[in-house]
Amino acid sequence: MKTLGALLVFSLAFAGSLAVDRNNFKTCEQSGFCKRLRSLKPEKSQYSLNLDTVIVHGNVLTAEVNTVDTETEKRIILWNYALKLTALVDGTFRVELDEADPLYPRYRTQFSLDGEPKCDSLKLVSSEKGVVTVVNGQGHKVLITAEPFKLEFLDQAGDVAVVVNGNAQLEVEPLKVKEEGGDEDDSSRGENFKSHHDSKPRGNEAVSLDVTFPEADHVYGIPEHTDNFALRTTSGGEPYRLYNLDVFEYELDSRMALYGAIPVMYAHGSKRTTGVFWHNSAETWVDVVNYAEGTVVSSLVNLVTGGQKKQVDARFMSESGIVDMFVMLGNRPKDVFRQYTRLTGVMPLPPKFSIAYHQSRWNYVDENDVRQVDDNFDVHDMPVDAIWLDIEYTDRKMYFTWDAEKFPHPADMVANLTAKGRKLIAIIDPHIKREAGYFLHEDATENGYYVKDKDGKDYEGWCWPGSSSYLDFFDPRVTKYYSERYQFKNFPGTSKDVHIWNDMNEPSVFNGPEITMPKDCRHYKPPQDGHDGLASFWEHRHVHNEYGLGHIRGTHQGMLDRADGKYRPFILTRSAFAGTQRYAAVWTGDNMAEWGFLAVSIPQCLSMSVAGISFCGSDVGGFFKYPEAELMTRWYQAGSLQPFFRAHSHIETKRREPWLYAPATAALIRDALRRRYALIDYWYTLFYEHSVDGLPIMRPMFHDYPEEEETFDIQDQYLLGDEFLVRPVTEPGVTSVKVYLPGKATRTLWYDVDSYHAHAANGYFTQDVNIAKIPLYQRGGSVVPRKERVRRSSALMAADPYTLVVALDANNTAHGSLYIDDGETYEFRNNKYIYAHIDYEPSAITYSFVNSANYPTRSWVERIVIAGIKSPPKTAKLVQADKQLALQMTLHKGNDVLVVRKPAASMAQPWRIVFSY
Amino acid sequence: MILSSYNRLMHLLAFIICSFLLCAHSDVPRPRGVSLSKASLYSPTKDFTCFDGTVTIPFSYVNDDYCDCFDGSDEPGTSACLNAVFHCTNAGHRPQNIPSSRVNDGVCDCCDGTDEYAGPDACPNTCEELGREARAEALRLAELHKEGSQIRLELIEKGNKRRSEMAEQLAQLDKDKSEAETIKAEKEAIKNELELKENEALKVYREAEEQEKQKKAEEENQQTIKDATEQFNRFDSNQDGQLSVEEIKVVNVFDKNKDGEVDQEEYQHFFGESENVNLKSFISTTWPMLKPLLMMEQGMFKPAEEEHESVRETDADDLSRELENEDLEGAEDENMDDSDLPHEEDDLDLEQDHAKGYDEETQTLVNEATEARRQFTDAERAIREIESSIQNIQQNLEKDYGLQQEFATLDGECFEYEDKEYIYKLCMFQKMTQKSKNGGSEVGLGNWGEWGGEENKKYSVMKYTNGLACWNGPNRITTVNIHCGLETKMLSVTEPFRCEYKVELSTPAACDNNVSQTHTAHDEL
Repeated sequence: MKTLGALLVFSLAFAGSLAVDRNNFKTCEQSGFCKRLRSLKPEKSQYSLNLDTVIVHGNVLTAEVNTVDTETEKRIILWNYALKLTALVDGTFRVELDEADPLYPRYRTQFSLDGEPKCDSLKLVSSEKGVVTVVNGQGHKVLITAEPFKLEFLDQAGDVAVVVNGNAQLEVEPLKVKEEGGDEDDSSRGENFKSHHDSKPRGNEAVSLDVTFPEADHVYGIPEHTDNFALRTTSGGEPYRLYNLDVFEYELDSRMALYGAIPVMYAHGSKRTTGVFWHNSAETWVDVVNYAEGTVVSSLVNLVTGGQKKQVDARFMSESGIVDMFVMLGNRPKDVFRQYTRLTGVMPLPPKFSIAYHQSRWNYVDENDVRQVDDNFDVHDMPVDAIWLDIEYTDRKMYFTWDAEKFPHPADMVANLTAKGRKLIAIIDPHIKREAGYFLHEDATENGYYVKDKDGKDYEGWCWPGSSSYLDFFDPRVTKYYSERYQFKNFPGTSKDVHIWNDMNEPSVFNGPEITMPKDCRHYKPPQDGHDGLASFWEHRHVHNEYGLGHIRGTHQGMLDRADGKYRPFILTRSAFAGTQRYAAVWTGDNMAEWGFLAVSIPQCLSMSVAGISFCGSDVGGFFKYPEAELMTRWYQAGSLQPFFRAHSHIETKRREPWLYAPATAALIRDALRRRYALIDYWYTLFYEHSVDGLPIMRPMFHDYPEEEETFDIQDQYLLGDEFLVRPVTEPGVTSVKVYLPGKATRTLWYDVDSYHAHAANGYFTQDVNIAKIPLYQRGGSVVPRKERVRRSSALMAADPYTLVVALDANNTAHGSLYIDDGETYEFRNNKYIYAHIDYEPSAITYSFVNSANYPTRSWVERIVIAGIKSPPKTAKLVQADKQLALQMTLHKGNDVLVVRKPAASMAQPWRIVFSY
Repeated sequence: MILSSYNRLMHLLAFIICSFLLCAHSDVPRPRGVSLSKASLYSPTKDFTCFDGTVTIPFSYVNDDYCDCFDGSDEPGTSACLNAVFHCTNAGHRPQNIPSSRVNDGVCDCCDGTDEYAGPDACPNTCEELGREARAEALRLAELHKEGSQIRLELIEKGNKRRSEMAEQLAQLDKDKSEAETIKAEKEAIKNELELKENEALKVYREAEEQEKQKKAEEENQQTIKDATEQFNRFDSNQDGQLSVEEIKVVNVFDKNKDGEVDQEEYQHFFGESENVNLKSFISTTWPMLKPLLMMEQGMFKPAEEEHESVRETDADDLSRELENEDLEGAEDENMDDSDLPHEEDDLDLEQDHAKGYDEETQTLVNEATEARRQFTDAERAIREIESSIQNIQQNLEKDYGLQQEFATLDGECFEYEDKEYIYKLCMFQKMTQKSKNGGSEVGLGNWGEWGGEENKKYSVMKYTNGLACWNGPNRITTVNIHCGLETKMLSVTEPFRCEYKVELSTPAACDNNVSQTHTAHDEL
């Protein structure tokens, strides 16, 4: 939504070119542990496995690991660690390393896993020559070398797929009693950044681990950054930083931390795809070395090894916690993406309205404004499903209240929207205004619900309401209390049709270090380790990256409970961590109305998507500044093909609802909106399938074409499901764009959706574009359901008929699917839905149900468009239940398109159309 | 409930039949969603050709819920074509054309409910009720306009009166102006005459002053010669009337670079090329250079010599006093009320000095001339004032106060509107301002610009433009929408777009009996 900027805006934002103030954020050099660990480059690991202690039981291998003083011959053991290697289902292993007997427990990240991961079997194969070999139920072997300690994960062919600690960068700084006095420069005594002091009560407790991906061309993931989708070598520069931060006017091509931090990384080469998930919620930095890049380092290596070495090394460094890494062995992209969502969960099926178009602004100023915007969509015949309210709707930024002057009748306002199938989305931020008489503040103060400062008092920071405190979502009582605020009676004016936007939950603290909470703030810890001292609380440093996840968990629970678990909640969050996808959609924060930000929205959301967060989008038009007509048009066109589709803007920018542009531009925007709505059931089906298989909705090109090397670093185009290839125009003033059409080896055809002209895949080709053109191609071999009767909102289209667009492959076949349900409840769990396959063969097109579930839809088929048909049938006959009906067909010879006129078959029952030649 | 496909088909069939046989509300049979004026284009006995002429289809395809025509003309009564229009008759109320995407979408758009015929819930026919309300509203408006028009007539009368008054004023002012010009000419003549006399009288004084000045210069000159000679004699140790190099060498003051001796260069600096210098050239050439050095020398090395010392002290005191004065003046600038007394005193002193200087006769002449000048200036000012008034009235006469001057009396009248945070003030035909209730200065939201209504409704919108600039944004502007009302007042002030304010204003000036009558007639159709 917005950042600290609003406060600064008068002084600097519009004074000149907008740019991030880097001084507010740490470099690796300024972050004590990053500086400490990054300079640590041992030739040989100090860690070694004690072979005598290896136990394999069930699916777990445990063993003792020691650090040994290698300086002397005596092999003095410095510290003891406990290693745990767990075999999990679906080709995944978990490596955990903790101190064997820590001074007090080290933090283990709490919220990101979707329950305890399911286990596979693990068998000891051998233990000889200092190497322990185990194997899981799928035949993946793990070779553990005792000294120097490393783990090699083999693929099913027996080749090394992933190496852990191959570069000896494993490090677990042991917790030690803090000594009085000592070296002034000792960072364990505390650290300073700008005017802020971090007291570091536990001293140094960082962890680090390196991982090697042999034969990988690139690594991907670890969002959120504005860098390339294919990650770059960081040697000589800053590592990628993962630390949820509210970065005012963030910049492009940067590895600086942003709002989200998801520590999952994938490695891909034509041979295999693997991944690692670094399960740690503390501040984390990641170094990458890609040996194929023409850097000094790799050329040296290549010189030594002779020839081009394909390998990527990465190193994770976190400020606290334990070493906890999941190794996912793929070995195809779709396998590894699925494996990750098995660990952290998928995005559940969202309410249907939320995948339609959202209209937002900071701020729609009052009820009348909301009504005007709502009405204007109808006046200009543009669809919209949700109107958003930013922070100004509240009574002086006290969440769960309304400004009584501007929003005196919220229930009426909501009713006015829902009368046309539309929803309201209201913002609720985690900071709480410290004002006497504000029920939330009083409850939180009285019950100790706030995060505490380093001395144990309620922490006070500065945010939108002024002096604010922050709820401690790590305390189950707080989450329960918070969830209850969403009860309709506690948040008057809301209904099941009011959904929630959780912003500023990094958390953003305007006067805090790096615009967030001090790391030595205290969070709740269950009292099992004692009530006193350092064992009685967690520090903010341990939990930082999952604070926002705690926030949206509370909201999600509240939205379920408020309607007795009947309706699906929609939540938008800005901060993100592994597991966020189970609760909320994520957007790319406060971007700018510039072409570069439009372009980067694709790699940003691709990175998010592979990191489990498929429900991703950017502020259409850009948050800061004003988009002129061409940029706005292109952004709507691009946004209409991204999962989360919302226009939003800063309070100080010129108003920009679509009809405020010249009629020609408004018409182009209307066209983009209609395209989205026409495909709304296709999108809904994609979201359903994602909730089942966990595959990204927005897919990188290599997802479906893992052996085509040209696809590996493409970031200006992507796949939607496996049906569409999208190449949005993100450059000003162009008359053509280059589009890469993959799948030559399999004779793939790509149909231009505007003309049904089929392009045979042959790598790059030049697509002519004008301002109306959105380069969008349907894959030959797919069937896509459309609803051509675009109405005021998606809900009003529920009973509308389908047009099925069949794009034939080289074998004249095509397959698709369709998901239908009521769009808002959990009744699909009671089998109240339709999941159907649509299969085309020259002899017939068949609509059949995959399972016994059903839903009484009033929808029917009004049209079947068959593209790429070379020899059209002479007759067509609908067969549904015991009825038969001869159908009319029209052949469009110019582009080989056959249109079957009005089969009028109900979608509530299977049917079949038989062709004769 | 699960509909079988058979049911579904029967259902559809029912719609099709219904759509052009049973469901038309008017006497003329026409397909659903077709207006009376277009009914003739749909003939059940013939094949149907799309309006754009591209496709001909069997008539049974009309309103069969499948879009055959690119222009949507075959589906006036269904939602099948995205670009089609559905007509509802709305008997008892106004007829309506809606986009066909609103047909059968579950929302009642037509008051007769004809747009929702396929869904499970029918829409009630509310046309009678709405029509009644609309007619009542139209009646109310008509009444309002009627009543308002009476006031408007008064406004027009006042406006016209004001206009003719202004015209009269203008004529009067023109007259006044020519009179004032005559007076000015007279005053100028008198002034010139008196100034001539004054000059003559003052001539004597000026000459005396000049002489005084010359005398003073002569005295100074004499002093210089005296001083120079004194020094010359001091240096001329052999008293031969010539200063030689040897004589100069022993005098410290010529040691310009303070190296302990007077070298050739230094000698030349003061005395030029000649070996010896007589008194005359010493006075003209050397003395001007030497005097400051000598004074410095004496100041530095002979502090005991009282005469020079006292001079220096006096200088220093003057300087410090001046500085104090400056400080004082600075303080006065900040504190103007603490008055210009010292200045006034100065001025008085000055005048007294002069006054003392003139004899009685001259003083009289000066006084007369001063008075004549003052009267002339007054005459000039009088003309300027009249001209300004003329310009003002001319501007007002040129202002567009509506077709019948109905807005003329509002010029300059101010109206206030308060919301939670601000007090807005609209001064008609002048400016719009905003003032925060929490204090702070007034912010200009625009100055009178022009009428901005669309054609035929030019006088329904006022534009106030070029207000205070928003930082890094445009200048603020205000749009005033004008409605008929019995009283002139602001109904609301909003800022729908950044720095663009919108006022809803009611005024009897906007009431129009004729317009309201035609409206009513139209509404009742």
